[in-house]
Amino acid sequence: MSSLTVTDLTKSFTTTPVLTGLDLHVPSGSLTALLGPSGCGKTTLLRLIAGFDDPDAGTVALGDRVVAGAGRSVPARRRGIGFVPQEGGLFPHLSVAANISFGLPRRQRRDGGRVRELLGLVGLGPELADRPPHQLSGGQQQRVALARALAPEPSLVLLDEPFSSLDAALREETRLAVAEALRASGATAVLVTHDQAEALSMADQVAVLRGGRLVQLTDPRTLYRHPRDLDVATFVGEAVILDADIRDGRAACALGSLALERSCPAGPARVLLRPEQLRLSAPTETGPVARVRSVDFYGHDSRVWLDLPSGVTVSARLEGTDVPVVGDAVTITVRGAVLPFPSDPAGPQHSREGTAPAGTFLDEDVSTEPARVS
Amino acid sequence: MTLALAICVAALALLPLGYIAASTVDVGWAGIRELVFRPRVGELLWNTSRLVLGTVAVCAVLGVGAAWLVERSSVPARRVWHVLLVAPLAVPAFVNSYAWISLLPGLDTYAGALLVVSLSYFPFVYLPVAATFRGLDPALEDTARGLGLSSWAVFRRVQLPQLRVALLGGSLLVALHLLAEFGALQMLRYPTFTTAIYDQYRATFNGAGATMLAGVLVLLCLGLLLAELRLRGRRGYARTGGGAARPVRPVALGILTLPALAGLAALVALALAVPLASLGYWMAAGASAGLDLGLLGATTGTTLGLAAAAAVAAVAMALPTGWLAVRARGRVATLLERSAYLGSAVPGIVVALALVTLSIRATPWLYQTVPVLLAAYAILFLPRAIVTVRAAVEQSPPVYDDVAASLGASAPDRLRRVTLPLLAPGIGAGAALVFLAVVTELTATLLLAPTGTTTLATAFWSASSALEYGAAAPYAVVMVLLSAPATVLLSRDARRGLTT
Amino acid sequence: MTHRLTLPGRAIATLVSVAGVTTALAACGDASGAEKLTVYSAQHESLVRAMLEGFTDETGIELEFRDANDSELANQIVEEGEASPADVFLTENSPSIDVVDKAGLLAPLDDATLEQVGEEYRPDSGTWVGFAARSTALIYNPAEIPEDELPASMLDLADPAWDGRVGIAAGGADFQAIVSAVLALEGEDATREWLTGLERNAEIYASNTAIMKAVDEGEVPVGITYHYYWFRDQAQNGLIGDDAKLHYFGNADPGAFISVSGAGVLASSDQPEEAQRLVAYLTSQVAQEKLAESSALEYAVGTGVASAEALPPLEELGAPDVDPGSLDAPLVTELMQEVGLL
Repeated sequence: MSSLTVTDLTKSFTTTPVLTGLDLHVPSGSLTALLGPSGCGKTTLLRLIAGFDDPDAGTVALGDRVVAGAGRSVPARRRGIGFVPQEGGLFPHLSVAANISFGLPRRQRRDGGRVRELLGLVGLGPELADRPPHQLSGGQQQRVALARALAPEPSLVLLDEPFSSLDAALREETRLAVAEALRASGATAVLVTHDQAEALSMADQVAVLRGGRLVQLTDPRTLYRHPRDLDVATFVGEAVILDADIRDGRAACALGSLALERSCPAGPARVLLRPEQLRLSAPTETGPVARVRSVDFYGHDSRVWLDLPSGVTVSARLEGTDVPVVGDAVTITVRGAVLPFPSDPAGPQHSREGTAPAGTFLDEDVSTEPARVS
Repeated sequence: MTLALAICVAALALLPLGYIAASTVDVGWAGIRELVFRPRVGELLWNTSRLVLGTVAVCAVLGVGAAWLVERSSVPARRVWHVLLVAPLAVPAFVNSYAWISLLPGLDTYAGALLVVSLSYFPFVYLPVAATFRGLDPALEDTARGLGLSSWAVFRRVQLPQLRVALLGGSLLVALHLLAEFGALQMLRYPTFTTAIYDQYRATFNGAGATMLAGVLVLLCLGLLLAELRLRGRRGYARTGGGAARPVRPVALGILTLPALAGLAALVALALAVPLASLGYWMAAGASAGLDLGLLGATTGTTLGLAAAAAVAAVAMALPTGWLAVRARGRVATLLERSAYLGSAVPGIVVALALVTLSIRATPWLYQTVPVLLAAYAILFLPRAIVTVRAAVEQSPPVYDDVAASLGASAPDRLRRVTLPLLAPGIGAGAALVFLAVVTELTATLLLAPTGTTTLATAFWSASSALEYGAAAPYAVVMVLLSAPATVLLSRDARRGLTT
Repeated sequence: MTHRLTLPGRAIATLVSVAGVTTALAACGDASGAEKLTVYSAQHESLVRAMLEGFTDETGIELEFRDANDSELANQIVEEGEASPADVFLTENSPSIDVVDKAGLLAPLDDATLEQVGEEYRPDSGTWVGFAARSTALIYNPAEIPEDELPASMLDLADPAWDGRVGIAAGGADFQAIVSAVLALEGEDATREWLTGLERNAEIYASNTAIMKAVDEGEVPVGITYHYYWFRDQAQNGLIGDDAKLHYFGNADPGAFISVSGAGVLASSDQPEEAQRLVAYLTSQVAQEKLAESSALEYAVGTGVASAEALPPLEELGAPDVDPGSLDAPLVTELMQEVGLL
């Protein structure tokens, strides 16, 4: 096991820059998720780390050993980095056992015990050993691919969106199995994903990539509660963003006067709160009154879309089954503090207030309307 | 590197076209007027086009009709009929023609030619149409019936439009094969451009007369390709909605079952039983005159050797093109792939004519050698290899290479343990298809075979041209036996290798 | 869809690779340096093989044949020029060897060789020599046309009365040689006129054997061909059929033309001595007697060698006087293209 350190990594394809001076440190034995929208450079970063491509500038180091950059390039096969591609990439002409033992020294390839041990590590039974890959389910294929990557005991394992092709039920189960296998093997792992729930639930730390740069690297809780900017905020979870005026350490906005999570200079700003911070109650005279526009009922919870008097639409996450119906007038109270972001006249101006769905960047095309209302 | 190789392959494939173009320029306008604008060419054009149109029409009717019966009706023993309807492909057209004309000398008319070539070529329509029928979502047909359409209306308004691409593709194959057909039509005394080019070649070797006729023939081929592209329009219809296809509920034929069976039986009898019976008859007749097994064995050996070498060459040539077409998708790769296809749309007689002349003039040390013959085979049958190699490369995305590298495998190791095993089935299938095509190749072999080299097809040809039908039969029988495996391959997977 | 190697696929792939290696090995093994003459031959394979049967045993020189049609081989040799792999050229009819001669590609033959053959069967140039001869004839089916209605001259067959009633093998070298005789005897305009008429009248067949068969079966009443097609069939007890009869035009008619098969040595041959020996052998008494004894039923031309007994003596056929070295094959091709027979 070793740590991974990426320094000032730069890579362009023809004239399009993909990575522009990226720094990243992954501690030994940890699982780091690389989170970002498609085209942010996360797969490119993975390929540079694995040694499938060479960087234009910058270095990649495993522990103290520089494997790329500074005038040297250790070929992929000598890096000792395990790789789990999308959809597993199991060799279709080899059995499960032969896939798993592919990277082992010739003498160990026939060792059925080692294969069984690795199958067990990823939570699969030994009876699968002789099957051809196409007889496995997608989730099983992913687990075999991980077992194959772990077999030569690599110093680092890279997983490239390993769950994206699985359907919801299988995805959850496979995630758990993979996380457990990684933990049990003690491997340092980097997981590429565009699914923020996956990143938050699995990783010890999450690296958010945007436009070929690292925007934020921190643990999942901090990332969710203290995103570096509104873009990151909306990307890692559903967000309610409102214009506010900061005065006397509080934010005055469409939801009233709210407490601040951290200090902020007085003046115009935008505040972030999460839909689960909103509480609804029968109309009173104290709080702002909103009208229920629509309700998405999920069973364990519901999302309620609310039209504020100011014309802004926000959403609230409510637990339980006691949910208002469309047309109800409700009073909104906010639980906890909100995170202020001073308006930067030079920065990007987000024109609209309201709720942004998770997994999007604000400066992409963000619709604040609930999609099913027309 | 791969690109350079693929460019070489494309250049080789386009060599015959280039030769024809250059000779045309060489001959000049006056020469063209003298050699092309003459009544004989008009006559050949009329002969060729009415035969192509007639054959395409007959094959379309036979192919679609038979495919509907086998895939969508309640006719008994459908799998058996399927194999029997593909089986005529194992009998080369010139052998079929020999089988018929040796029994019925009066077949040397338009109707005779139409009958014989249609019986040889209708599987080219049957196969893709049957495969498309199998892929069509029966739910559409059920919906149409639910809307009150009769079986005929369902066929005309729902199925036929969806069969369009397959039908056009099959018809194009029939037409291109027919334009290139030499042996069958020569034997039936039905002059077309190809037989006329051969006569010209025999009279003048590589004279301008032959080259200009070849030019007109090439224009016809290109015209056909363009027409098919325009008619086909966008690539077929997407099947909306995924999910497993529901099993087909066949249309009950009821009282029509017997006539349907009789029709299929008649078709199979004419296309398969007659040629096989005729071969059997002449085999027996020839055996009484003495069968030189040693010579037959030696000729078979030569043919198999040439076919194997051509298969290896064609697959080796297909690898860079097929590889680029998948791994480096883009205009250049498409252009290179299309060049290979275009080159082989040129009839064998033209390819041979071009290679004879070019090898004498440019590479005298190669003239009359096996490599030139192999080059002709490669040009003619390259698409068969490319189609299969390409499919194999698609089955082997670069991720396997990456994974193997990350597992510590060196480049030669990766080639041995991953890439080659993954490409092997495609390479094997492509090689087999080329191999079997070469076994029955006649036209180019007649012109290009090195002195002293006789193949099954040319031995058959010289015996049957001398009307020594009994002596010709054993060679035909061996060709049919060797072609049978290809037929099995084709009846299993219609789309593979049906390119010209 | 996964792509799997089926068992037959594997078997075929193996077969292909094994056969490929075998071919490569065989090709290597072929490169031995034994004396071997390359013979371009347009004469009937069986006849040439029979005549040369004893040659290799006697001389130790191996022979390799490239069998094809007269004009094809002649034009091929001209195109090949100095680089031609051919050592010896044997034609079925003389116009083609003349094409090669006129291109200056033939070496003079040894005087001893020339003297083995009668003067009327070789050109004055001494660059090639006849080794067999055949007479033009008309095959007819008496059931379709009585003997007294046969044309007096072959030229009459261009008459509209013969529309659809005459068979020719226009693509064949034999017919083209006959046309060259018409050209030599009657001139270009008359030949063009005759060919134009034939283009309208004639049924085109792929070979003389096919004409023989068609006449025999009454498909067409008469056909222009050489005598031996009929005699051969007679010798085989009428294998094709014995309905057809043979008619000689005689009277020095172009239709009584005697065509000479020629043999020559290529000037570019790298084994000129061996090549000369081959032509000498072909015209020797041994080979000429083989010809007379063979089932080919062509005429021997060796001095003092009698032809097959079944054949009427050549001198009695009333052949026109045509110099075998004067026939113009290229002009024949041109005229036939012009009228649409090619």
